[in-house]
Amino acid sequence: MLAAIVASIARGYYRDGPLEPDAPTGQGSKAVVQVLGDLGVKVEVDRHTVDAAEALRMGRTVLVTDPRSLSAPQLESLAAAHEDGAGRLVLVAPDLVTLSYFSSQISPSGAVRTETLIEAGPGCGDLAHQAEALLVPAAEEAIRGAASLYRVSGEGESCFSADQGSLVAEHDGALVLGSADLLTNDAVGRADNSALVLNSLSSEGALSWYVPSANDPMGSTSQTLLGYLPDWAGPLLLWLLLIATVALVALGRRFGPVVVEPLPVTVRPQELVLGRARLLQRSGDRQAAATALRSAAASRLASRLGLRRESALDGLLAALAPHVGRSPEQLRALLGPRPVTSDQDLVRLAHDLDHLEKEIDR
Amino acid sequence: MRISLTPRAALVALIALPVIVLWPLWWVVLILVAIWALVILADAFSAPNPRRIRVRREAPTQVRLGNSVRGRLLLTNPTSRTARLEVRDAWNPTAGLDDQRSAVDVPAQERRAIAQSFTPTRRGEHRSRTLLVASRGPWGLARRTTEVGVPGRLLALHPFGSRRHLPSRVQRLREIEGLAAIHQRGQGTEFDSLRDFVDGDDVRSIDWRATARRRSVVVRTWRPERDRHVLIVVDTSRTSAGRLGESTRLDAAFDAALLLTALAGQAGDRVDLICVDRIPHLSVLGSTRTTVLHDMVTATAAVDPALVETDWELAASTITQRARRGSLVVLLTPVESSVVHTGLLPVAARLARDHPLVVASVSDPALEELAAGRGDLESVYLAAAAEQARAERTGVSHALERVGAHVVDAPPERAPQALADAYLALKAAGKL
Repeated sequence: MLAAIVASIARGYYRDGPLEPDAPTGQGSKAVVQVLGDLGVKVEVDRHTVDAAEALRMGRTVLVTDPRSLSAPQLESLAAAHEDGAGRLVLVAPDLVTLSYFSSQISPSGAVRTETLIEAGPGCGDLAHQAEALLVPAAEEAIRGAASLYRVSGEGESCFSADQGSLVAEHDGALVLGSADLLTNDAVGRADNSALVLNSLSSEGALSWYVPSANDPMGSTSQTLLGYLPDWAGPLLLWLLLIATVALVALGRRFGPVVVEPLPVTVRPQELVLGRARLLQRSGDRQAAATALRSAAASRLASRLGLRRESALDGLLAALAPHVGRSPEQLRALLGPRPVTSDQDLVRLAHDLDHLEKEIDR
Repeated sequence: MRISLTPRAALVALIALPVIVLWPLWWVVLILVAIWALVILADAFSAPNPRRIRVRREAPTQVRLGNSVRGRLLLTNPTSRTARLEVRDAWNPTAGLDDQRSAVDVPAQERRAIAQSFTPTRRGEHRSRTLLVASRGPWGLARRTTEVGVPGRLLALHPFGSRRHLPSRVQRLREIEGLAAIHQRGQGTEFDSLRDFVDGDDVRSIDWRATARRRSVVVRTWRPERDRHVLIVVDTSRTSAGRLGESTRLDAAFDAALLLTALAGQAGDRVDLICVDRIPHLSVLGSTRTTVLHDMVTATAAVDPALVETDWELAASTITQRARRGSLVVLLTPVESSVVHTGLLPVAARLARDHPLVVASVSDPALEELAAGRGDLESVYLAAAAEQARAERTGVSHALERVGAHVVDAPPERAPQALADAYLALKAAGKL
């Protein structure tokens, strides 16, 4: 991660993207912008339509890098500024709809899909900008797909004609470039691309490089979803809201107070016994448990045999002996203070004491 | 008085939707709101004023716990309009009222009744916290609600489940009373009659003066003394709050106390009762023989256990103040080592010197279940702990017996009979 941070600092900060003026990557246009700067052209980067239109009115050249992404109001604003001011407009690969805002004479007529060298025709004149041939990359290598070709009618001029149309066209101060790749770092150096681009953009001495941005306030479509609703929707919604509120209030009515009642306290009585049992088990005190079970059984047996409760163990054993089928040693082991070594022994002892009591009960 | 809306008020507002669609203007909405509010208010004020509705409660004041009792709410409408009423009688939940909310239409100048059925689930006093009457408008859009001051009170009495054992004990009592075996004069006997001597009679019971007047030998007979005094002391401290099965230890103690009271009433003895914990807080003293059971049931209905320790010294001073010399004192308190350590033993010794003393305790049946557990190691440890607890209880009862008290320790379902039997045994022995 540290390496990534260091690398990014060393590389320097720039915005990457198609025809971004700062980007040194293949799709960027840093080369063109830098050369223009060296030629003495003041290059200003605009991201909002308002700024681009202002530049047009001030008579600068405005390069619109992606006219297809512009919305109708943005295009209208640019077209109005173009008519008002004296600035030149350079459109990179516009489509039919976009073109209709700026010129009625130029229309798209086809596309170039393979890598093609297009030569300037004999009747180009100034429009060739001293370039003799342009190299257009194949559609899959190009940043915006196939290059567009345009047909010009009436007063418009065109140059670099291929089969279906021309790659460059101009009419009424709007220059149309058929391919965005003419401006990229990768492709600007091929053939005479650089001559066309540099000469056409440096003619005014000041250039506004307009990259349409998604956060342009004019960029959002004016017709929102709510705009499709009929005009009675607002009051109707308000009324329904009122009704819903009334319904909630009516349904949520509490008829009188919540009645609270102090209930008498009750206590679980066996807590002490349960706690003591868990303490015995956790401490593994089998001897204490066995003693409790033995003394309880012994006192029950003694009362059953009519002995005094205080009589000693020997007296109890002597009284028991004739009634049960066990030897005195077994009885002593059962009722006497013999240590209990394991948990199984304790459980067995409890069962044996039960059996003994049942034998006496019989 | 409050005005509240019904859900129908919201439904009525839906009628205005086409108007809004046709004229979607904000001031139209405002006007509609105003019209709607006017309609609601008009409906609310065309309902009869709930304050003018007269409410009378026909409710029983007492019910034995476990039984149901029926009552009525009578609503009179003196106005000239039909009253559509909603009534809520806010009893506390354990009063067991079948339905707190009811709706009834009372025509003008008429009266209607709402039937109520109470099945209390808790002993003690139950109250209706409030009675609300709401009057709905003729369109049912709004209602006016008011509180009516008709207090309700119902006393759920102790179920006295042990009363089914009373006939057999009374029969035993009659046998003892008529028993010729008590020829000897004792502390708790009084002179009954003279009869002829038969073989086997004690020569010491021959009445020589009467014999001299007649030709045959005459002996005196004695019967258990009547009009003795029995003082029952019920411990209502934290140990009585223990839950044994369905009810608390105190419930079983009251059951036993009531059976003893009924039996002693049959024997012609006077019975008083005091409840003690930190203070002697309830007593039934000096009731006549015919009313004592009723008084006691009513008084003990609202007694609940408190989480305090009993002050036995204070209890002893109260007992000596209330009990005549020689009267039977019955202490209804759990025989537990903790109770004895809080000072019961010296107090019992002092009382036993002056009175026949019975300490009646309600034992925990769960203890026996635990003591019989043999399933696995854990249940054997539980059984051992339960045996230890039982041994401690036995030790405590021995200690109490050594100072002269009669100890009765029985599970809740047998405790009343055991106490009654102990009383009968004292009677039969002529000690009372």
